[in-house]
Amino acid sequence: MSCDEFNRLASGYVDGELSEAQRLRFEAHLETCDACRRDLAALETLAEDLDMMTFKEPGDEELALYWAGVYNRLERGVGWILFSLGAILTLCYGAFKAIEELVRDPNVSILLKVGVCALIAGLVVLFVSLLRERLVVRKVDRYAKEIDR
Amino acid sequence: MDETETALIQRCQAGEKEAFAPLVRKYAGRAAGTAAVLLGCPHDAQDASQEAFVRAWRNIRRFQTGRAFYPWYAAILRNICRSRLRRRSRRKTVALADGHASPASDGDPVLLAEQDERRQRVYEALMTLKPAFREILVMKHFNDMAYKEMAAALDIPIGTVMSRLHHARQALRRALEEDGS
Repeated sequence: MSCDEFNRLASGYVDGELSEAQRLRFEAHLETCDACRRDLAALETLAEDLDMMTFKEPGDEELALYWAGVYNRLERGVGWILFSLGAILTLCYGAFKAIEELVRDPNVSILLKVGVCALIAGLVVLFVSLLRERLVVRKVDRYAKEIDR
Repeated sequence: MDETETALIQRCQAGEKEAFAPLVRKYAGRAAGTAAVLLGCPHDAQDASQEAFVRAWRNIRRFQTGRAFYPWYAAILRNICRSRLRRRSRRKTVALADGHASPASDGDPVLLAEQDERRQRVYEALMTLKPAFREILVMKHFNDMAYKEMAAALDIPIGTVMSRLHHARQALRRALEEDGS
């Protein structure tokens, strides 16, 4: 085994993730190379230092505040959904009425009526296309089950 | 996963918000700490970890009971942190243009259970590494994940996990040497 290969396997050795054959070859090289032995010792010390570190557990008061923060966001989430739904329905209804009036108004030129209808049709096509793309991505996205994008 | 956790998740899936509180309380410290390291600074770690809990709640019906909750939650948290890092580097408001965060020593709280000079130095050096290195070191040393689990979570081969982890440790060693420890 070369020192380069030793280097590639060193972390796997420290973490006990090498196969038996790899481990034996690794240890055979270790017997013969002082530089690699020193490197391995340094790596083991670093891994031990990292293993000693654990995250602080918050106190009861901090946990209560933390949960309150999560709970408030959950509540607000429902509020935002209702608000968005209401806004979409209201805007759609308003837009429908405005277009209906525009189309029925004999004083408005045909050109403007055609332009507005094309604009609306274009928006609908773009929306459907975007929606379809999102649904396709969702089907093949491995994180789709974990994340609500 | 223990029985209590399974029962809590089943109650959450039935829409009972109160059943989510013990899960949040159990993992809050680990979640905020992980977010702090992934983001490279603890300032918005709490916010990111809370956002991840909210998304976990919204998707709790998709969670397969019988699986461990934390790895599933941690995947959500990692994605939130990644998108925050992307947003940050786009805005260029922090020194992340080259993938490096500012050290944690600028008045940031260190979210470690025990602190001494050595741990503090390692933590600060860790925070100077690029996000991919911080991520893999957190998975290995703070979340105690095996190579197989990390490979599945990061969608990379086990060999890549081993080499990325090795490069991360070498980078950490260099950062510590530069710091004079």
